[in-house]
Amino acid sequence: MSPRDGMITQRPEPGAPRPYEFPATLRARLPNGLAIAVTPMPGRALMAASLLLRWGASDEPADKAGATVLATRGLTEGTERYEAIALTEAAERLGASVHAEAGWDAISAGFDVPATRMGQAMDLLAEIVRRPTFPAHEIERIRDERLTDLIQAKADPRRRADEVFANTIYAAECPYRRPAGGAAATVEGITADDLRVVHKGFAGPQRAALIVAGDVDPDEVVAVATQLFGDWSGGGVGGPAPLDTPAERTRRVRVVHRPGAVQTEIRLGHPGLPRRTPDYHAVTVMSAILGGLFNSRLNMNLREEKGYTYGAGAGFDMRRGRGPFSARAAVNTEVTVPAIVETLKELDRIREEPVTDAELRAARDYLIGVFPLRFETPGPVVGSLASLYLHGLPDDELATYRARIEAVTADDVLRVAREHIRPEEAALILVGDHDQFGTDLEALNLGPITVDTDDVPAEGSGDAAVEAGPLDGGESADGR
Amino acid sequence: MSVPVVEFTDERLPNGLRLIVVEDHLAPVVAVNLWYNVGSKNEVEGKTGFAHLFEHVMFQGSANVGKAEHMALVQAAGGTLNGSTWLDRTNYYETMPSHQLELALWLEADRMGTLLDALSQENLDNQREVVKNEKRWSYDNRPYGSWNEKILQHLFPKEHPYYHPTIGSMEDLDAASVDDVKSFFATWYAPDNAVLSVVGDCERDQVRAWVDRYFGPIPANGSFPALPDMSLPPVIGEERREVVEDKVPLPRIYIGFRAPVFGSTALDALDIAGQLLSGGKGSRLQRRLVREDRIAQDVAIFTLPFTGGASVCVGWATVRPGVDVATVEAAYLEELEKLATEPPTEDELARAKALTEADELGGLSRVEERADRLSMYATLFDDPALINTMLPRYLSVTGEQIRDACRAVFRADNRVVLTYVPVAGETEAPA
Repeated sequence: MSPRDGMITQRPEPGAPRPYEFPATLRARLPNGLAIAVTPMPGRALMAASLLLRWGASDEPADKAGATVLATRGLTEGTERYEAIALTEAAERLGASVHAEAGWDAISAGFDVPATRMGQAMDLLAEIVRRPTFPAHEIERIRDERLTDLIQAKADPRRRADEVFANTIYAAECPYRRPAGGAAATVEGITADDLRVVHKGFAGPQRAALIVAGDVDPDEVVAVATQLFGDWSGGGVGGPAPLDTPAERTRRVRVVHRPGAVQTEIRLGHPGLPRRTPDYHAVTVMSAILGGLFNSRLNMNLREEKGYTYGAGAGFDMRRGRGPFSARAAVNTEVTVPAIVETLKELDRIREEPVTDAELRAARDYLIGVFPLRFETPGPVVGSLASLYLHGLPDDELATYRARIEAVTADDVLRVAREHIRPEEAALILVGDHDQFGTDLEALNLGPITVDTDDVPAEGSGDAAVEAGPLDGGESADGR
Repeated sequence: MSVPVVEFTDERLPNGLRLIVVEDHLAPVVAVNLWYNVGSKNEVEGKTGFAHLFEHVMFQGSANVGKAEHMALVQAAGGTLNGSTWLDRTNYYETMPSHQLELALWLEADRMGTLLDALSQENLDNQREVVKNEKRWSYDNRPYGSWNEKILQHLFPKEHPYYHPTIGSMEDLDAASVDDVKSFFATWYAPDNAVLSVVGDCERDQVRAWVDRYFGPIPANGSFPALPDMSLPPVIGEERREVVEDKVPLPRIYIGFRAPVFGSTALDALDIAGQLLSGGKGSRLQRRLVREDRIAQDVAIFTLPFTGGASVCVGWATVRPGVDVATVEAAYLEELEKLATEPPTEDELARAKALTEADELGGLSRVEERADRLSMYATLFDDPALINTMLPRYLSVTGEQIRDACRAVFRADNRVVLTYVPVAGETEAPA
């Protein structure tokens, strides 16, 4: 077959790249220790700001697991000057979205707002971080919402698989073994007083950074910060990197049996790497080839060759401690075992032979080329600077990123794959219909297999279903 | 605060391809967004899900591009990409470092002109399996995952093009053949059925020259099959109720309404109503059901804007443990009724508009979003200038218009109520 008349068969060559540097960032520190970073981005009228506090869910004691996430949600539930609704309304009048989230390593409270209203929005930020009141009535509500969310999580095969995976790969004493928001056993007992204790610990300038990007004047940001945070004191707690020891160093299988499930959620992996690993850039390239790019080995094999899945991937969730490495896919039930075989094959292959020049070039070119696209708007600029601060990385980390990716060789990729991917130590989690694949799974001889029967919890009793709304006039469910 | 005006050029190639260009040199990035005026509404009985399956085939290669190579080339150039299918349209897009723009244009032209040169049974079979897994992942193996299909089936008559969801049915996906792909391509994929928007760090004349070079040789189709009459009465005429047993721990109600078409001022008003009802902590449904009465875990209401006959307005509330579903439904409907009776307060409306304005400022700052909107407004309304007039339209909506729009839509005889309940016999009380 020949192309249509006149169609250009020759692929165009790229033009000369327009030079790009990560935008210049002004750094300052207030006398009380608060770090400030401002990245002016002229023309970006919707600015972003984040106050990063270096205290996260992995810093909290096991018997109060969930308190950090709840305390962070509680920041916007009322302050000395505003009750919760008044605070939201004040933000909305500015066109601001004020948010506060906690992760394993840090709390981030911030806002996006038209840059002309920075001062007013910053005032609200100072209010929620410095003067939350944690009203008992509201705290009980958000605690109950978290408990309900945990019930919902069990019903979602994706969340279920992630939860069982973490619970399997880390030793009992590791915080990463539990959900970052805590499990029901500890969340149930958390009170407003617990949140006040947590807040007293994390809220202070010593371990905090205010990061701002957009069409702003750095001097003005520093002046506003001085006014609103200059007299801030206290806080400053934070622990060493959390325990991240593996539960076991042998391969084993856990199945959550969900009768009738049309897909199996697969997770395969083990504790991975901390963000500060010296192998960061080589691992980034290796992960892209194995399971990050659309044309990664896992996706090309499981999706584009076999049609087993809508998408397969793998990667490292790098935290202060060793977050998980996992390969993941949702596959149709009948191909569960073949999909496991192919996944293991790809993990072995990247450890056994060097990647091709074409693979290496494609991954490096992607990571280098997409760098300017990542920083088109202020939000991601703030996020990346926050990550540097959080992990204690040097100021020029972003400036040197592309050169260090470019320097990664096929030998580096092979070395880091061999060191950091350990299929023999991996846990395999399957959430799906065990009746359909159990026999074939045993025949694979991957290690000991535990099968938990699905126990999707439901609220109340069966009565709720019976009373669920009038049945007249409409269609009944599946012909009952 | 003011949202900057988007300055664009709007022209047509001799073969009918509409080209819209925005020069913006702020960042060294450029977005390409190609809308084809075909979606799941153009599918016929027995072929549901085909427009979307076809979208997947568009990544399986063309005369000068191998299977999955489109993705590989764009990513290796430092770009990002995807495609999507919806009821009213299908689109394909790339965001590239600006010096790689020409590659993206060539790739889009190659598949528009020569897709069938690379078509094979094997590739179709492969993508059929991928799409079936997409359906399982997004709908069948997801709690409450059937709501979208059920809402459409209650709001639209069986013969209406919006009756079936974009993902289609497993049976129809199984039946799709190579001949179907050929005929769909020949029918719909032509320059005179497409709008190409290029936004970002580019030179207008250079873009036009490249587009002429790569897309110019592709012949026009000339004509396209007409859709059946899609007009509908403004209300469905009765309340429709369905109880759905699902593998879920908590009941949830979905409430759907037939709504005015996309582009009407009544839908603008309903969009603002959605913001007042569920956009953020202080919104009415959040405040009443989640914060004060504490009977719902989460609430939402929003519109799905469509052009043919009617849009959809849909929302939900997840019932908190131990709460009667009927209590939640009654409170939810009461809040809708209030807005259908009394205009919102001036302060409420001002806050909703301030947020809308800031959202627009943020959204339009991204080249990808601007390109998508220009293609959308040109494809659906023949009016790309809507990118600059939609915001003023939203900002001019009055409280009375919101009340009137709600009154016309939030009616018992225009309502679908889906009640999801845990599968009988699988319930157990938490400790």
